[in-house]
Amino acid sequence: MAFLLRRLGFYLAAFIAAATINFFLPRLMPGDPIQIMFSSTGTELSAENLASLKLTFGFVDGPLWQQYLTYLKSIFTGDLGRSIKYFPLPVTEVLGHALIWTVALMGTATLISFTLGTFLGILAAWRRGSVFDVVVSVGAIFATSVPAVVTSLIVLFFFGFTLNWFPTGYSADPALDPAFSLTYILSVLYHGILPMLTLCTVLTGGFAVTMRNNMINLLGEDYIVMGRAKGLSDSRVMIWYAARNALLPTVSSLAIAIGTVLGGSLVTEVVFNYPGLGNILYQAILARDYPVIQGQLLIMTIAMLVANFIVDISYVLLDPRLRRT
Amino acid sequence: MQPLIAGLVRNRKALVGMIILLIIVLIALAAPLLTEYDPAARVGRPHQPPSAEHWLGTTRIGQDVFARLIYGARTSLAVGFGAGLLITVLGTALGIIAGYRGGKTDEAISFFTNMVLVVPNLPLLLVLASFIGQASPLVIAVILGCTSWAWGARVTRAETLSVKQKDFVKSAEMMGEPRWRIMTFEIFPNLISIVGINFIGSVIFAIITEATLEFLGLGDPKTVSWGMMLYNAQKASALSVGAWWDILTPCFALALLGIGLSLLNFAVDEIANPRLRTGNSMSRWSALIRSGEGRL
Repeated sequence: MAFLLRRLGFYLAAFIAAATINFFLPRLMPGDPIQIMFSSTGTELSAENLASLKLTFGFVDGPLWQQYLTYLKSIFTGDLGRSIKYFPLPVTEVLGHALIWTVALMGTATLISFTLGTFLGILAAWRRGSVFDVVVSVGAIFATSVPAVVTSLIVLFFFGFTLNWFPTGYSADPALDPAFSLTYILSVLYHGILPMLTLCTVLTGGFAVTMRNNMINLLGEDYIVMGRAKGLSDSRVMIWYAARNALLPTVSSLAIAIGTVLGGSLVTEVVFNYPGLGNILYQAILARDYPVIQGQLLIMTIAMLVANFIVDISYVLLDPRLRRT
Repeated sequence: MQPLIAGLVRNRKALVGMIILLIIVLIALAAPLLTEYDPAARVGRPHQPPSAEHWLGTTRIGQDVFARLIYGARTSLAVGFGAGLLITVLGTALGIIAGYRGGKTDEAISFFTNMVLVVPNLPLLLVLASFIGQASPLVIAVILGCTSWAWGARVTRAETLSVKQKDFVKSAEMMGEPRWRIMTFEIFPNLISIVGINFIGSVIFAIITEATLEFLGLGDPKTVSWGMMLYNAQKASALSVGAWWDILTPCFALALLGIGLSLLNFAVDEIANPRLRTGNSMSRWSALIRSGEGRL
């Protein structure tokens, strides 16, 4: 319990630090972001209009510390201002909509690649040195060392343009109205296949290699030899003796993967023009939509922190030694 | 150091990786000898398929793709190794200082390190690059170096903690060696394989991230690099007009360089692992390089 409380305290501190970076970043950069933001329209704004616009978008004048306090307050009340690109939609609404797509895409891809990768890793370690092991290991090196941009573009080129099997953009047929109907759901699944394929290619190898190496380290342990000597079946030793313990470090790599998945899904979403968080961030950067950029960074940080905390909790659940300290 | 080099020569993965890297470095160095075209100039008609005149075709505005490919290799390698070096130096120095000094210094550095670790890297880089605007390769390398050292620092610290308990460090302390000397000459040489893995991993990460940032349009348009090639090709809708040579060339170049470096990295890890039985921190770090930060 003390362990979890300490971690919780750290995450709170980390969150405030991230929020602070988030606040000062645009203000430290050369030029007034607010001026840049409104000058993009090309027309000259009167000081009066500028002031009222600033007010609408939730910018406060006054000394920096006062702006900072207002900002902190707005974060904890969940008010992130209004988007400039999608005015007058509030940032929370723009991000909330995108979040659903990203979570669905990312969540499924992570789940598939974690399961598949772990399974491949267990088998590869069990038959270490066999053809299967070599294929999995070399395949994993290849899949994990190719940048996500490259994987996305190659998948898009072959399956989207050359073979023409799958759509090359959007999360669903734009002609269809979002509704809970069979046609719409099928369309969403059809459009999701390529981004999903890309993300799974990018992620599976990493999980497989981690699991394989953990397993190999464990297979030399005495209790594995003991299990075999007792005459337990291979599958029993493999799953319940070795894999179960090897899974622990893999869970922590899952937390690292959240950062990767966020990054990887960003690139994949941009390439496939998928309306998720990554794409929204990209569009916001192009449009200099500062409120959305700030909100986005905040959401991604929260996602990282929550993921890390869940891993901490699962560590306590999986590893009894941590419960005693 | 000696067993590391001997092991690298004998390891097949290392050999293949080394050959790939060497070929790319040689091509990058010999770029002016291999092509007569200026990579930035308009030298042909737009979007010509590969021919005897233009080995890999031309871009939308008539630049020679092969010339851009081999000159672009210089940028990728320079950013990769420059940023990789910066990341490694920062991470190693902070890790050793935190691990060896302990106490308040350790607490401060570790807290800072963990803080940097939980801020999502790519989105932050994107935002930084966009605020700076048209980031040149040098700027990208510096931003990468300053934001990506945390994993190296954490792993180096964990290793330092175990090396510091060894007798030779204790005896150096007894003899009154200064602390900086113990850190640089007693502890650092024993961390060389971890530093090596950190370095290669960081190079891979930097190359991939530079290409990603440029692909997303945050680079300086005048740069000749693989990331800018991807960006320009994508902007010219190379895929939908069927100009596959324009976009697949930088794709395969990046993939090849990534594979070469990863093979080297795996090899260093394989050679170093039997001696480094620290378990968790190590496997977390290897996992990071294979599945983690480098994969953007």
